[in-house]
Amino acid sequence: LLTTRHRPGCVTSDLPLYSSPAPDFAAFPQTLLDQQELLCGQIAGVVRCISDISASAPALVRLRKLKFAVKVDGEFLWVLGCAVELPDISCKQFLDQLIGVFNFYNGPVSLAYKNCSQEDLRAEWDTFIEQILKNTGDLHKIFSSLWNLDRTQVEPLLLLKAALILQTCQRSPHVLAGCILYKGLIVSTQLPPSLTAKVLIHPAASRHQPCPCCFVILGAALPPNVRIMPVFLTEEEATSLREFPREQAASPAAAPARLQQCSAQQPPHPRSTGAPTDNATGHVEPMAWMLAATPESACPDVAWPDGKGENGHLPGCDLENVKPAKLHSPPRDEGPGLGSSLVKELHLPWGEEEPDLSAIHIPEAQETETSSGYFALPSTGAPDGGGPCFEEFVRDSGDPAPESRDAPPVVMAISSVLSPSTPEMLSQNGALEQHDDLPGDSSQAPFPREDHLPGRTSRPRSWPCSDLRQRGTALPEGEQGVERSVGAHDSCSAPGGSALPESQDDNGPSADRRDPGLAPASCMGLVPTNLYTHSVNGLVLSLLAEEPLRGDDAAIEEVYHSSLASLNGLEVHLKETLPKDAAASPSRTYNFTHYDRIQNVLTANLPQTATPQDRRFLRAVSLMHSDFAQLPALYEMTVRNASTAVYACCSPAQETYFQQLAAAARSSGFPSPQDGAFSLPGKARQKLLKHGVNLL
Amino acid sequence: MKCVLVATEGAEVLFYWTDEAFAESLRLKFGRSENEGEELPALEDQLSTLLAPVIISSMTMLEKLSDTYTCFSTENGDYLYVLHLFGECLFVAINGDHTEDEGDLRQKLCVLKYLFEVHFGLVTVDGQLVRKELRPPDRERRVQVWEHFQSLLRTYGRLREREQCFAVEAVERLIHPQLCELCIEALERHVIQAVNSSPERAGEEALHAFLLVHSKLLAFYSSHSASSLRPADLLALILLVQDRYPSESTAEDDDPQPSPRKPRSSESIPVQQAWSPASTARARRSSATETDSFSLPEEYFTPAPSPGEQSSGSTVWLDEGTPPTDAPQVQIAEDTLQTLVPHSPVASGPRRIFLDASVKESHCPMVPHTAYCLPLWPGINMVLLTKSPGSPLALVLCQLLDAFSLLEKKLKEGQEAGTTLRSHPLMGDLRQRMDKFVKNRGGQEIQSTWLEFKSKAFSRSEPGSSWELLQACGKVKRQLCAIYRLSFLTTAPGRGGPHLPQQLQDKVQSIMQEKLTDWKDFLLVKSRRNVTMVSYLEDFPGLVHFIYVDRTTGQMVAPSLSSSKRISSELGRGPLATFIRTKVWSLIRLARRYLQKGYATLLFREGDFCFSYFLWFENEMGYKLQIIEVPVLSDDSTCIGVLGGDYYRKLLRYYSKSHPAEAVKCHELLALHLSVIPTDVLVQQAGELARRLWETSRLPLL
Repeated sequence: LLTTRHRPGCVTSDLPLYSSPAPDFAAFPQTLLDQQELLCGQIAGVVRCISDISASAPALVRLRKLKFAVKVDGEFLWVLGCAVELPDISCKQFLDQLIGVFNFYNGPVSLAYKNCSQEDLRAEWDTFIEQILKNTGDLHKIFSSLWNLDRTQVEPLLLLKAALILQTCQRSPHVLAGCILYKGLIVSTQLPPSLTAKVLIHPAASRHQPCPCCFVILGAALPPNVRIMPVFLTEEEATSLREFPREQAASPAAAPARLQQCSAQQPPHPRSTGAPTDNATGHVEPMAWMLAATPESACPDVAWPDGKGENGHLPGCDLENVKPAKLHSPPRDEGPGLGSSLVKELHLPWGEEEPDLSAIHIPEAQETETSSGYFALPSTGAPDGGGPCFEEFVRDSGDPAPESRDAPPVVMAISSVLSPSTPEMLSQNGALEQHDDLPGDSSQAPFPREDHLPGRTSRPRSWPCSDLRQRGTALPEGEQGVERSVGAHDSCSAPGGSALPESQDDNGPSADRRDPGLAPASCMGLVPTNLYTHSVNGLVLSLLAEEPLRGDDAAIEEVYHSSLASLNGLEVHLKETLPKDAAASPSRTYNFTHYDRIQNVLTANLPQTATPQDRRFLRAVSLMHSDFAQLPALYEMTVRNASTAVYACCSPAQETYFQQLAAAARSSGFPSPQDGAFSLPGKARQKLLKHGVNLL
Repeated sequence: MKCVLVATEGAEVLFYWTDEAFAESLRLKFGRSENEGEELPALEDQLSTLLAPVIISSMTMLEKLSDTYTCFSTENGDYLYVLHLFGECLFVAINGDHTEDEGDLRQKLCVLKYLFEVHFGLVTVDGQLVRKELRPPDRERRVQVWEHFQSLLRTYGRLREREQCFAVEAVERLIHPQLCELCIEALERHVIQAVNSSPERAGEEALHAFLLVHSKLLAFYSSHSASSLRPADLLALILLVQDRYPSESTAEDDDPQPSPRKPRSSESIPVQQAWSPASTARARRSSATETDSFSLPEEYFTPAPSPGEQSSGSTVWLDEGTPPTDAPQVQIAEDTLQTLVPHSPVASGPRRIFLDASVKESHCPMVPHTAYCLPLWPGINMVLLTKSPGSPLALVLCQLLDAFSLLEKKLKEGQEAGTTLRSHPLMGDLRQRMDKFVKNRGGQEIQSTWLEFKSKAFSRSEPGSSWELLQACGKVKRQLCAIYRLSFLTTAPGRGGPHLPQQLQDKVQSIMQEKLTDWKDFLLVKSRRNVTMVSYLEDFPGLVHFIYVDRTTGQMVAPSLSSSKRISSELGRGPLATFIRTKVWSLIRLARRYLQKGYATLLFREGDFCFSYFLWFENEMGYKLQIIEVPVLSDDSTCIGVLGGDYYRKLLRYYSKSHPAEAVKCHELLALHLSVIPTDVLVQQAGELARRLWETSRLPLL
């Protein structure tokens, strides 16, 4: 594997090949330096040349022993080298994934390379690549799939519990959605696959730890094992994460009802926490996503092929019957009393779940206190969490807004001195302004984020908000461009507002509340967000949250406490129940791979070390996978050579591959009904049922 | 949007071909950037300007990384570039309209390279000499050579797209045993024997004669002294004939009278100056007549006398309203051509070609032959292949070149210099043979180069370094190639070299016309509806189409798949047949790709159809042999095919290693069923079908 980035720069020569500017290298673990330089120069030149002829840049450059996926990104060129055996399509997906990860943690390339030293970024690349190489098996390479826990190996209730932890966290303010990983594998996720893929890979701790923006000040306040770092979503991702609340707000009555219909375990809780809109954001959306992901069942939590899920098709019953038994235990100490009272208040039909959620409500009792503390926070430096780091972005991106030129030096001062005595500046992050704006403007604020504070401090206020939301989004609903236009307005107005705090009143709260850092990033099509991670041994809870989370100690605390106990419990259970690398049963009589096209996860029974027969299987799978991707009408395939036969079928939702390991009687290849290759479909149907794969 | 380019390491264009759309896109590109007043650079120069960076980069990569580009594809596969390095020449194929996949493009390059070999023989071994052939310094000649190959590529593209036999690269036969027998007898008595017994034959010896009806083979006869003709060579000859006398495959859809076609050669006169306008006109006409999307060369579709582009020769025929049945008329056109364009290698009439053959019991690639294409009627042609007296020389040269190439390889691999090399058994033998050759041939240059080599390789006092040896070796090789070129190309029949006298050609032509005159119309129809099994649709319910190929003989059998409006096939006509045709073509592509990756059996369901592909081996008696691991090839290997790199021949040789005792035969069956047919029924049908076809193919035909 080799990754290279290259800046073609301004090439004026007719033969761009000869003007290869100094290349930047991200990671080239396997090639020599001068070869890297050669490759970079040559490929950049060829890409340019091909673009000239075809009016579109090449996406794939193949050599005899290597192939390169190529992506042109403004003045940058991304190139990823892969082995030739890897299907073309996987190679391209892999590159997209890498770019996504890089942008997620570092923002747009151009900014990243301006703001961070090459050394740092190189180290970061090393970490990414290392993680990817470590975790990516042959099958994962072919499908570019996510690294997930083998769900057949996990107690289904633990999966359920993980899902509940996520739902609980979603009720905390600012939190959008999240996922839980165990030893780098997905246990449960609310995020779309593309986003989960990014969360799966962690940047090097070394780079992010000393970063003043996230740790020096907040770090003290943060509980151990918790990190909050700025990340960047693409606009589509941001839209999809924030999509739902609008709908819900638009029909507040209908939404809960519908929710209950489709999945009883979703609490319709507009009032359970302070910020209804945000809750709903994170809460409902993933639900919908999961629903889409598992079309065979309306209830994602029980749709997992757990084998014993007969009753799983009745989610309500399932929950009522099973949950109390299992899920009660770990979080019980969190004061179930309060929880249950809340449950009563909310008339939730399945209150047994609540103890799990109780963690939320305890802090809520002290909410006024924490929030007042919160307002005090700015002076102690909390807002810088969002501040200096992004201010730097503003500056470095060369933001054309003239006002911004005045501001940055001051900001820089803050970020470097980290003085707690600059509250005026902090207002740029909105933390202070929030305070001022709260009473009057929240009702006019067209942005959901505005509502967190009012919502949390006083419940009634949240209602106007949601009304507002409804109003604000009613017009453009259904149009894709809405979110963008909102975002654009946001990002464009933000720099001005942030740079000139005194002008905030004119701009209204709408402009300032979003972090100014948003401006440059979202202009590049990226939306800054926070990634909250909490790790408990091998278990990691990752939550994507709106920007203000970093400045909101109370919210952080809430998230932390609401999940801490459950996470600990889950970790213990996972550790105990997960088989310790069960030596693949020697009696394996077949190989199979089941790929979920929507969730982008694999189920397979291939061992770690591939036997020759397994390698034949892999080769066939990679060929057929490419064809399934290319020919949409293709739905069934059997291929056979002298030593093996592989059967594959696919539908819009999944692809399944099956190979029998028993040494087949050698045939002639002449068409004969006795040929074992043609009985594979039947065998696959029969054998895979017990893996929860239904091919009927 | 198609383009093919052959270039040297230094990015000099040796050959190019573009379709009209690609040329137009180039024109736009250069028209925009250049000043208004200035004339656009020649197409050749435009291409070289655009692609030079890629070519040079690819050479740099090869030098520095010993790896080079094989393929580029842009987003959504809008553009596909395939690069293949043959010796010192880089072949590039570009497609910008989604009509060809990587395999197709690579195949096209391999076929082009094979066509170069058929035309230039062993001269292709040497980069510099082949450059002289492909890019003659004389501009006029260069245009002629390029036009000839451009036309061949167009013809190949048309045949591959339209004819099943070119899609699977196997010869399709007209199945009519009685007629076949009659023809074979006529070919034997009145053609081969008549020529070989004629005192006027000027040393030429007739080896093979065959009859083609459109692109299908009617009868084939080889003299006793001849070695067998490879399927690849036969296909290449069909391609050459189709290029020169194209069949009116689409034209007849609208025109009930098969219109006469003029010989290909006369077209080179007007087209030479006005290539692009002619092509545009062609495109316009083909769309106006609602033929299918493929634009055919204009020359063979002439529904009415159309003054202007036509040369006088063809207009005469049109006015007469009769096909050019007599050779003298053809000759008129040729004569005009000869006077206009001297030294034309593309002139019709006998042509030097190089084919595999056995000479004196030993196999030799690229033995010089002379091909005479004698048109009997439009669509029906006779081809006569003769061997010139020089073929023993070709064998010697070929063996020597082989030995030197081997030596070169050894020198490059190991550091076998001086002493080790001298003691090599290969060297002693080579020295002896070379000494003898040089003594017999004389020749100043070869003598001096050989002496130089000997002094480097065998001198005890100052043995040359391996680098020096390599240089010397290269020089000797070049000299040998030069001799080959001088002996077989410079004095080629097309360039006034010895060939059968015209009277003799005319004689055999008219004899065959006489023999076949009653069958003419029948044959023309039969070739369009070459039904092999009238009842297959009834016998195998659910079966839509099949192609059965005997790879040992390189022959195929399939129901006709004509999308022509006038002639219906078993599948009816018009859109349905066209739809089935695209399905069949995609099946062929997919089967090839999986075979390349080692899969000999393939079954897949797509939409409403189920495709199956089987490859198996059997012995002479039809007993099915066990399948073996078919080699897994890389994506950039030469393709699965016959014309460019004879894949099946290699496969058979590979298989025979494990079955030395018996003659191994290789068969392929492609079947297209409706997808409602259950797999077991489908497989059973395929087996039954293969058995029946095997029985019919047992009929002695050649």
